[in-house]
Amino acid sequence: MTEERNSTSGLDSNEVFSKMLQWQLSATLAVIIIALIVSGMHAAISALAGGLAVTVGAYFASKIAQRSSKEAATVLVNLLKAEAVKIVIIVVLLFITFKVYRQLVPFALIAGLAAAALFSGAAMSKLDRTELEI
Amino acid sequence: MEALALIQAYTGVGIGLIIGLGAAGACIGIGIMCASFLEGAARQPEMIPQLQGKVFLLLGLIDASFIIGVGLAMMFAFANPLLSVIPK
Repeated sequence: MTEERNSTSGLDSNEVFSKMLQWQLSATLAVIIIALIVSGMHAAISALAGGLAVTVGAYFASKIAQRSSKEAATVLVNLLKAEAVKIVIIVVLLFITFKVYRQLVPFALIAGLAAAALFSGAAMSKLDRTELEI
Repeated sequence: MEALALIQAYTGVGIGLIIGLGAAGACIGIGIMCASFLEGAARQPEMIPQLQGKVFLLLGLIDASFIIGVGLAMMFAFANPLLSVIPK
C-alpha cells in the first residue's frame, strides 16, 4: 500500500512562514558576521538594517497572507495585499535608514537586503518535503 | 560643476530604469503566477490551501529582484558612489 503524505497540508502554513523568517534571519546573520569581519561595525549595522527591513516586511506580509479562505480569488487578493504591504514596509524602512544613518555602508546594506530577500524562497524546501510510505 | 550635473542627470535616468524595468519584470512574473494559481484552483479547489503557501513564497522570490533593485536605486539616490570621482 502506497500512501502519499504531504507534511504541509495547508493548515500548518504558519510553520512554513516561520521557517521563511528563520531562513531570512540566518542569512542576515551570516552577512552581518562577514561585514563585521571585512569592514567593521558600521558595515555590520548597515547589513543588519538591510536584512531587518526585508524580514520585518515579510513578517507583516505573512500575517496578512495567512488568512485562509475557500475562494481562490479571496486568497489571491490577500496574497497581493500582503505583497504590497511588504514592499511598502521595505521601502519606508530603507528610506529611513538612508536618511538617518550617516555612517551607512551602502554595499553592506545591499548585501544584507539581497541575502534576506533571496533566502525567503529557501522555505520552499519545507513545502516540498513529501514523504512516501510503503 | 558640469560633471556633477551630468553625473546626477545620468544617475536619475539609471534610477528610473532600475525601478521601472524591475517593476515591469516583477509584474509580468506575478501575473503569470497568479493566472496559473487561478487555473490550478479552478481545476482542483481542494488544493487551494497547499498552493497558498507556495504562491506566497514564490511572490517573495519574484519580488526579490525588484526589492534589490529598489535598494540599489536608493543607494544611488542617497549615497551615490559615482560622485566620488569629482575632485573636491
